[in-house]
Amino acid sequence: MSSMLEVRDVAKYFGGVKALDGVSLTVPEKGLIGLIGPNGSGKTTLFNVITGFYVPDRGSVLFRESNDLVRIDGLNPNEVFKRGIVRTFQIPRLFNSLTVLENLLVTPLGQRGENPVRALLRNSWSAQERELAKKAIELLKAFNMLRYANSKISELSAAHIKMLETIRGLMTPAKLYLLDEPAAGVDYLMAKELFTYVRRLRDEHNLTFFIIEHRLEILMEYVDYVYVLHNGKLLSEGKPQEVISDPKVIEAYIGV
Amino acid sequence: MIGFDIVGFMISWLTLFGIYAILALTLNLESGTAGITNFGKVVFYGVGAYVSATLTAYLILILNGVDVSETPPYGIRGIILLGELGNKNPLLNIGLLVLSLVIAFAVSGVLGYLLTYPILRVGPAFVGFTLLSSGELLRIFLQHYEPVGASKGLMAIPTPFGWIADSRLREVTYLGLVLGLLAVTYVVTHRLVNSPLGRTLRALRDDEIAALCLGKHVPRIKATILFIGSGVAGMAGVLLTYYLTSVNPNMFVPAVTFNVWAMIILGGFGNLKGSLLGASVITFVDRVLTFVTPQLGIAAISPDYLRWVIVGLLIVVVLLVNPRGLLPEKPIRTPAVDVILEEFRGESK
Repeated sequence: MSSMLEVRDVAKYFGGVKALDGVSLTVPEKGLIGLIGPNGSGKTTLFNVITGFYVPDRGSVLFRESNDLVRIDGLNPNEVFKRGIVRTFQIPRLFNSLTVLENLLVTPLGQRGENPVRALLRNSWSAQERELAKKAIELLKAFNMLRYANSKISELSAAHIKMLETIRGLMTPAKLYLLDEPAAGVDYLMAKELFTYVRRLRDEHNLTFFIIEHRLEILMEYVDYVYVLHNGKLLSEGKPQEVISDPKVIEAYIGV
Repeated sequence: MIGFDIVGFMISWLTLFGIYAILALTLNLESGTAGITNFGKVVFYGVGAYVSATLTAYLILILNGVDVSETPPYGIRGIILLGELGNKNPLLNIGLLVLSLVIAFAVSGVLGYLLTYPILRVGPAFVGFTLLSSGELLRIFLQHYEPVGASKGLMAIPTPFGWIADSRLREVTYLGLVLGLLAVTYVVTHRLVNSPLGRTLRALRDDEIAALCLGKHVPRIKATILFIGSGVAGMAGVLLTYYLTSVNPNMFVPAVTFNVWAMIILGGFGNLKGSLLGASVITFVDRVLTFVTPQLGIAAISPDYLRWVIVGLLIVVVLLVNPRGLLPEKPIRTPAVDVILEEFRGESK
């Protein structure tokens, strides 16, 4: 299977702290790949490098664009998104003064009504707006959230907030999802439901997932492959069962 | 209340209200909806006022064959000539109004864009302070720049309707112009807020990082909004110049900016009707104090100080009762609302 994302020898230093120190990994197309590691091992820093929040001190990040792999390190986060990478956060970042439906409608690129001159001419964008609204409604239906369409974010449960943050990327032709701890703060059953949805998204929308997760018992059930980071370096990788029984990984987690 | 001129009061209040409401509406778009801390509203207002004053004074003299290098408009001779030559040609006066509006919009707008584009990446407090200090820089510059009259400013600026003989009719015509521009500003800001652009602006006010991760070019969007808001504020400055027929640097102190902030806080952050309400209340207080105190013969309390006490008190009371202002922000009205309502109606059938 060809790769969707390739991280090649990426290093990121903060003063003397080596947050990432030569990490190389590959996320294959339509993969459901896990990224684990103890606190401070560099997982979120890696996501920040991939999504353009940090420029790596060394190495490169490549992303699939039709048949080529193109360098995306050094691009701004908004440009990274335009290439098809959607990211969610450890603490979900939604737009709290907007309704659920509006949160979805913020996402699409190329909205005519976002141009200040066209925004004045309602007729020039209202047809597109209706289409996007219908698309958003279909999404909400598919994820059993339609009844919350007009709710404010503050009225949603933690699991629904995570779900909304994940599905808003589907309003665009997204290719790769970076999920940062999707199961944090969600009870066991809801977390499993979330991962079931992730699997469904992968299959139905041909998406690729790269997931940071601390709750290994849930993650390992769903992912095909796992990378383990420790002190900014790749410590281990492999199928979930191999990784979980790797003595190095156990040592890093328990810290003998 | 002997000799209280109620019609004169209304005209004066409504004209001032119109000018300030334009400022409040645009500030509400910038700060209330888009979350940009614009503490430099007065910069763009002042630039607009000076653009029209300079343009009008110089062009009137030049077009009447006066050599401005000999008799500049800020000298005594120039001021007298402006009074003599100012209202001879109605077409010229109105032409200068239109020209001033266009140039003030362009200059203030471009200044708004250039001043903010480099600093919008830093935090909101820095944006606020940079714009605040820009205002003071501009004021100090104007105080020392001779061609615009330095600290004395420009006086006896011919007005667009100066050729109308009857003073009341002239004032009412001008009021019509001000309210007309206010109406246009309201329609424009209302449409911008209730559009996908307005939704994106609220989104980046709520969470800039998330908006960035959804592909929004945050600095460019904000600078564009400041282009629009500052350009329109420049037009409000034009209206002020022709209303007062003079400009001087001390009219453009930071207090002007905070007066407009008081209006949108009082009226409701993010609510455009609230801005109109806030502007009307605060300009009313201002006019009442200016009109009434001299008539009552109270010399002990200056209306200038009392104004700030009253405005401050009003804000405290309103915010205690309703922290979101008199009129809270409304949901955005786009066709998406109709689509979801149709959907819900279809389901319940």
